[in-house]
Amino acid sequence: MIHIITAENRRHYHHALMEMHRQRKEVFIDQMKWRLEESAGIEIDAYDCPEAIYLVEAAAPRAPVTGSARLLQTDRPHLLADHFRFLCDHEPPTGLDVWEATRFCPAPDTGQGQPRHDLLARIIAGIMETALIFGIERVTFVANAALTPLAAKAGWDAQPLGPARRVGCDRLTAFVAAIDQQGLKRVRQTNGIKTPVTRFLGGDLTQAA
Amino acid sequence: MQARINWAFAEVCDRATSVDELHVAFMREVRELGFTYAACASHVDPLRPPADAVMMVDYPLPWLQRFSDQNYAKRDPVYWRARRQTLPFQWSDRVFRAGLAADQIRILNEAAEAGLTDGITIPIHAPDALPASCSLVIGPEGVDPLNAQKATWYGVYAHECARRLRLAGLPTKPVLSPRERECVQLLGQGKDDGDMAVILGLSEHTVHNIVRRAMHKYGVASRVQAFVRALKDGQIRLEDVC
Repeated sequence: MIHIITAENRRHYHHALMEMHRQRKEVFIDQMKWRLEESAGIEIDAYDCPEAIYLVEAAAPRAPVTGSARLLQTDRPHLLADHFRFLCDHEPPTGLDVWEATRFCPAPDTGQGQPRHDLLARIIAGIMETALIFGIERVTFVANAALTPLAAKAGWDAQPLGPARRVGCDRLTAFVAAIDQQGLKRVRQTNGIKTPVTRFLGGDLTQAA
Repeated sequence: MQARINWAFAEVCDRATSVDELHVAFMREVRELGFTYAACASHVDPLRPPADAVMMVDYPLPWLQRFSDQNYAKRDPVYWRARRQTLPFQWSDRVFRAGLAADQIRILNEAAEAGLTDGITIPIHAPDALPASCSLVIGPEGVDPLNAQKATWYGVYAHECARRLRLAGLPTKPVLSPRERECVQLLGQGKDDGDMAVILGLSEHTVHNIVRRAMHKYGVASRVQAFVRALKDGQIRLEDVC
């Protein structure tokens, strides 16, 4: 299940968050060679803050983390506006009802191919469920050459914000996806997801779980 | 990362008039961040520290006793690693544990039994200071990753303030004149009075006196000691002599 971690409940998820940052270091810095800040074996950047919402997949709050993603509000500093503006033909969508999804991180031991596609589909369903809870209507994201076809055929209505551009030895495309009940239904149907994937716990409930 | 710096903590550190005051403020802050124990300290025997050591240690006393009795300061893998890198590291990190000797793993296991199971260590390399680090112990509830990052800065800042307060209470260190420094540096390169006289275009007698003056400033009886002290002080850099 995918835990929705916000400023209000993150105190119950220290282990999961620490593991997520450790996996991000292993995946993005060690494996993909991105030039990111690291400290004490974890990757953590200027956009990681209490206001960010994290989606962390784990069987329980203290179970091993199998994947994660980060959602940022776009009325605050975020990556598309600060670093990937050149991927957009027009001003990128921002505002109180627009979020940005970044740092999709499969656990380092996730198998290539189907297991990875399935995880991405669950994370996309998780992003949509979370966005619907919080009244978010659009989600922007940047995908590389490997992720672009997968994100495009996941079942949601994702439109490119500009043409793919070469960055280093990869090709990046910025997208905006519309979030609504119909889209969520399609994502679930397309990917064989039968039940809600997210769990949003607050305060004492987490300890009970 | 500017926005994450807690300037209120920096002000408390700057205003502190004693290391004890600083110690209390530092511990209050790191506990607030979720750490259970902390040690922001020079790498020395914690129960018998030299006068210029920084000692803001809040570890279980039985562990400090054992650390001191067994002289673990010489073999502690956390100290060992902190002296060789500048980036913070976590004790549970596979890479950290991979290169350790059996006795060093034993020290980590004993520390875990004493309640110091996992932690983050921030190496501190300050000029003119004993090797040091700031270790923050993570309890069973874990610690917020954002706080772990914040604590890195706290540790370095508190150590710097403590070091300044320590040094203020100690007699000022001797300063070598440019000529004395030159001679002591040549000493370190293995030159004798005759060599130095030729290199510097001075008489052997003059060179001999300059070296004597440097030894006198440090209050030491041998040339080697004078060189080592100048190196420790930072008046001569290792890369100047080798």
